[in-house]
Amino acid sequence: MIQFVQSFESEWLKRKRSLASWLVICGAFFTPLVITVAKIVRHGALAASSRLPNYWEALWKSSWESMAIFLLPLGAILASSLITQLEFKNNTWKLLHTTPQRYGVIFLAKLSVILVMMLQFLILFNIGIYLSGVLPGLLFGVSYPAEPIPVTYFMTENGRYFLACLPIIALQYLISLQFKNFLVPVGIGLVLWILSVAVLSWPYGHWIPYTYCSFNYLKDGPKFTHAFPLITFALGYFLLFTVTAYILYLQRKEKG
Amino acid sequence: MEQSYILETRALGHRFTDGAAVLNDICLQVPERSVYGFLGANGAGKTTTLRLVLGLLEKQQGEILLFGQPFGRNRLQALQRIGAMIESPSLYGHLTATENLLVLQKIYGCPKERIALVLEMVGLSATGSKKAARFSLGMKQRLSIAMALLHEPSLLILDEPTNGLDPNGMIEVRELLLSLNRKHGITIVISSHLLGEIEKMVSHVGIIHSGSLLFQGTLAELQQQRSAGGRLSLYTDDQSKTTSVLRAMNIQATFDGGKFTMPMPQQEMIAALAKELIGSGVSLYELSPAGNDLEAIFMDMITH
Ligand SMILES: Nc1ncnc2c1ncn2[C@@H]1O[C@H](COP(=O)(O)OP(=O)(O)OP(=O)(O)O)[C@@H](O)[C@H]1O
Ligand SMILES: [Mg+2]
Repeated sequence: MIQFVQSFESEWLKRKRSLASWLVICGAFFTPLVITVAKIVRHGALAASSRLPNYWEALWKSSWESMAIFLLPLGAILASSLITQLEFKNNTWKLLHTTPQRYGVIFLAKLSVILVMMLQFLILFNIGIYLSGVLPGLLFGVSYPAEPIPVTYFMTENGRYFLACLPIIALQYLISLQFKNFLVPVGIGLVLWILSVAVLSWPYGHWIPYTYCSFNYLKDGPKFTHAFPLITFALGYFLLFTVTAYILYLQRKEKG
Repeated sequence: MEQSYILETRALGHRFTDGAAVLNDICLQVPERSVYGFLGANGAGKTTTLRLVLGLLEKQQGEILLFGQPFGRNRLQALQRIGAMIESPSLYGHLTATENLLVLQKIYGCPKERIALVLEMVGLSATGSKKAARFSLGMKQRLSIAMALLHEPSLLILDEPTNGLDPNGMIEVRELLLSLNRKHGITIVISSHLLGEIEKMVSHVGIIHSGSLLFQGTLAELQQQRSAGGRLSLYTDDQSKTTSVLRAMNIQATFDGGKFTMPMPQQEMIAALAKELIGSGVSLYELSPAGNDLEAIFMDMITH
């Protein structure tokens, strides 16, 4: 356990100033910024909307629209590929694999860094949503939204989105551990993501593991009839991919 | 003879997936507290051997013992005591020198003060916030050495550590390694393709050629072999007169590229030859030992 903590700290340091860590920040604030600007442009509607009983839920929905279908899956694809790519790009697998660490610890520490970055991303995104909800109002002297923030709803949804992107992270991690060339994991990731968008209305679409973020967004829609245990599917795929990734990682004949 | 080896391989063999055997029956024996020079031309198999020893390649044949223990089962304990640098520098380009060391410090759990200390040792104290990607090759090499030294290992494995260093840098690194060896008793395995480069620091030498170990022993033993197999080269202004002098003295010489070469004669014989040549009016331009370089020793070892 101490080993894992040390290893995680070490992995966490590597992420500093890397492209992946910038991506988290930019990705998280992108949509809230767009919404803020849109609200400022149409500031006439601010006063009316701040009195709505479902002010926060509506804001949540519109914030998540591009996020769930587009930014979150792509962010997960890029983040997990970039973190692993650090070792290939710098030629540091041989450094890492001659440190006295169990392979399992290295594997889990890296995966944990990606997962914590996803959490970071969600937290920043939530802060962004909050700011886009109150800042335009403050700017134009409109009263604070009447509805209290539906904390439980937000937290449940955050949790569901986090679980929904786990299969993407695990499969991308699996692929990017195997290939030196960064384009391979990113290319495969993009193809799977495009596929996942294409199969959303197909009855068996939920078997494609990259669909869950989109499905989680669509589930509250009026026309949505595609019922399946999303969390179970996501966790199942996550476990399957993680175990496979670990086995393949161990089997690598050249460790640097 | 009872000797404890800090690193030993027994009949180590390896072939890559694409075919031919790259290593055959390598039996390295690195005594404790030695500086072991691992020599070989490009593609001889130095890096492959060292990667196997560190567990970076999956072992296929033979045995590897580190600190007297089989490596496979004691991988972590052994790695804890080894500092390694394999071929091109392994650094995180987006991090500074200190941050690179910090990454390792977290894993080894060694005191943070070591970071400034090893940077000082390799002369990189003043790089501040400069990213490692912006370092010159020599600076990268130095940082890699610092990273290998961070956790005070008792065995250092360095694959061509002076690659890319200027002459001054080479001397500095050599002094540093020698002092580590003398003061702290650190065993050092250092690979190179130039004997001249490491001659001044090694106590033991292993020579690998096309995946086979041709020679292993102390530097003194190598020097004996070298003078036994060494040649003398002779350069004069007059080929025919020189030939007759050589014939008269019963020396077997070959003429090639304007110079004569011959098996190294006894010292008295060399003196006599010089006297005889000058006596017969030949201008003597050069009389020097030839084939002292590694390549010649290889050729010698392969042909004999
Ligand atoms: N990953 C690999 N796959 C296939 N063959 C390899 C691989 N790595 C090395 N080889 C082959 O193994 C042989 C030995 O290579 P190695 O890198 O050990 O040489 P070296 O002694 O370190 O040479 P250098 O002085 O150039 O560093 C070479 O013929 C090389 O082509
Ligand atoms: Mg090499």
